[in-house]
Amino acid sequence: MNTSGTSQNSSPSARSWLVVVLLLAAATAVGLVLDRYVTLTSLAMVYVLAVVIASYRLGWIESAVCAMGAVTALNFFFVPPRWTFVVDNRENLIALATMLVLALVISRLATGLRRETQVARLNESRARQLQALATELASVNSEEEMLTVGRATLDNAFAGPCFLVLATAGNELEHADGLDASVRDGMRQCMVDAAVLGPGTGRWPGLNAWYLPLGEKGRVIGAACVQPALAGDEDGRQHAQALCSLLAQAVWRLRLTASMLAAQGEAQQQQLQSTFLAAISHDLRTPLAAIVGAASSLQTQRDKLSPAEQDRLLGSIAGEATYLSAVTENTLQLVRLSSSAQELRRDWESMEEIVGAVLARVRQHDPGRRIRSRVPEGLPLVKADPVLLAQLLGNLLDNALKYSEGAIDLTVSVEGGELVVSVKDRGAGIPDAGQAAIFEPYARGDQAGPRGAGLGLAVCRAIAQAHGGRLTLRRRQGGGSCFSLALPVELQPSQGEGS
Amino acid sequence: MTLRVLVVEDDREIRALMQSSLSVEGFEVQTAVSLSEAGAMLRHHPPDVIVLDLGLPDGDGIELVREVRRHKAIPIIVVSARHQEAQKIQLLDAGADDYLTKPFSVGELLARIRVALRHRGTALAAAVTVHALDDLHIDLQSHVVLRDGRPVHLTPTEYKLLARLVRSAGRVVTHRQLLADVWGPEFTEHTHYLRLYMAQLRAKIERDSAEPRHLLTETGVGYRLATA
Repeated sequence: MNTSGTSQNSSPSARSWLVVVLLLAAATAVGLVLDRYVTLTSLAMVYVLAVVIASYRLGWIESAVCAMGAVTALNFFFVPPRWTFVVDNRENLIALATMLVLALVISRLATGLRRETQVARLNESRARQLQALATELASVNSEEEMLTVGRATLDNAFAGPCFLVLATAGNELEHADGLDASVRDGMRQCMVDAAVLGPGTGRWPGLNAWYLPLGEKGRVIGAACVQPALAGDEDGRQHAQALCSLLAQAVWRLRLTASMLAAQGEAQQQQLQSTFLAAISHDLRTPLAAIVGAASSLQTQRDKLSPAEQDRLLGSIAGEATYLSAVTENTLQLVRLSSSAQELRRDWESMEEIVGAVLARVRQHDPGRRIRSRVPEGLPLVKADPVLLAQLLGNLLDNALKYSEGAIDLTVSVEGGELVVSVKDRGAGIPDAGQAAIFEPYARGDQAGPRGAGLGLAVCRAIAQAHGGRLTLRRRQGGGSCFSLALPVELQPSQGEGS
Repeated sequence: MTLRVLVVEDDREIRALMQSSLSVEGFEVQTAVSLSEAGAMLRHHPPDVIVLDLGLPDGDGIELVREVRRHKAIPIIVVSARHQEAQKIQLLDAGADDYLTKPFSVGELLARIRVALRHRGTALAAAVTVHALDDLHIDLQSHVVLRDGRPVHLTPTEYKLLARLVRSAGRVVTHRQLLADVWGPEFTEHTHYLRLYMAQLRAKIERDSAEPRHLLTETGVGYRLATA
């Protein structure tokens, strides 16, 4: 659909002259048929009707010619003496003159009405274009998409050819090699001026197109070239400007979103780095100091130490080193889980098996068998990364052993579509105010306090979340903490094979 | 006759540690720092067992495992870091016998080597068919499974699964190997079958299924029938 407003100004075509002739011929024919039954006044009305139709359908020139033709035809065919151009009666002469004036006035009015209708239609269709463009741009996700949508809209709104190009910060056009040098020059100039160039703008009126910058001074991000451009077509130019400003806004929105995401990623990266630094400065340095101390003591003083003393130092080296390896594993896992590229290796897993494997390891530090496990039969399988779940459970149990005395309960149950694994201790508990904080990796670089609490729970929560689950903490009645992991139970796989 | 161990490890400290702790136990220890060096040693002087570190500078070791498996039944123990799961499983499926995760204790290393040597040559000689530990007694030739001296009734699939683990007693058997050998090669992705049947087996054999004594889970890798 081409809604360009320029066709009304074009010169009359052969087709419209034919319409004029046919209208006059039809009026004459009707007149000849009715001649016997009606007066000259009624016949004049038939011609006036033809003039009205011509004025509404055709241009000003055609309708004026039609008006004069109507008066001439009325005179020739019907005004006595008939079949001549002579008028014998003064009254008839006045009637003919009046009719000529009447026909011209009607034709003028009708033409005006038609033009206003056309302008109203054009404005309506332009408003629709603006609205449609705004809607389309709202869902655009890249600058390439924006260009495609923008070009389609300009081509739709103007006869064209229209061009739309984005530019770099230095007003260098991007991917504009296919354009004429004159178009590229016009675009560059309008971006430098940050103003519309072309007919009717007072800037470079000799051009045959409008050049519009995308954006305003200081923030110009591209340019458009719109044709045809007429000096008098103020509305068309304003429409082009409105479209261009919508396109510029869309690009700004895209760039703002992109820079926000980048800033977010950078903040996350910095958070990770500070977590790393904190882990190294606190969780790694202390055990390293203990290991180096014990080992150097054995190196230099072995002869003076009793066998029991030597055993204690060796035990300390092995214990601290084991602790270091757990911290390293947790730190690495947290970094892996924080980078979104990490894919979980999920498979159908049995919680009973994971609990069993974790207990087999943790029991080495639980000679008194403080951990009591209760795992019911027939639990649903979970789609999970077993190594990560084992790490989560191992961290919870290690913490419970370290920070509490007395029995620790490990229970598994199904509650409301979720598989819930709980680790309950009778330790000092964590005050409500600190409950949210213990799941956070270090907020500060250097943190005092009991070591080991740093990353373990942050990793646990990250693992739970990576599985679409939750890790929560609540205080137990009578003292102690209860950590609960809730995992969604998915539709179970079919057991195709019998027996 | 002294048993010869080939340690393929690029880290000097760990290599030295393995060399000294294995020598103390009476093994003759050879070391190689790369896969190519290990390959050359294999051709000239085949060892009785190979301890192969993952992440060597010149490759991931799968070629070495395949090369060894083409000709010889030398046991291979893979040593890996925690995040090398996929690679480790790949090597086990390709024919490696067992694995150790870093950091490991010398005790664990020796236990793995002992189990691997016990199975040495099973590809040629008769496989392990009798297994006994604590309350459990299994004799594959007479098809008998006893717990506390009383027979345990197993379904055919449960029995096939248990028998497969008995033949590799003490060694890890990967999910893929178990599924292929018990259900068939087209079922290697159906790990949920294993979960179900292992749970059933544990319910019949273990005193406490949640803390198994015999049917051990190697998280993310496979299962192992305990031998000690």
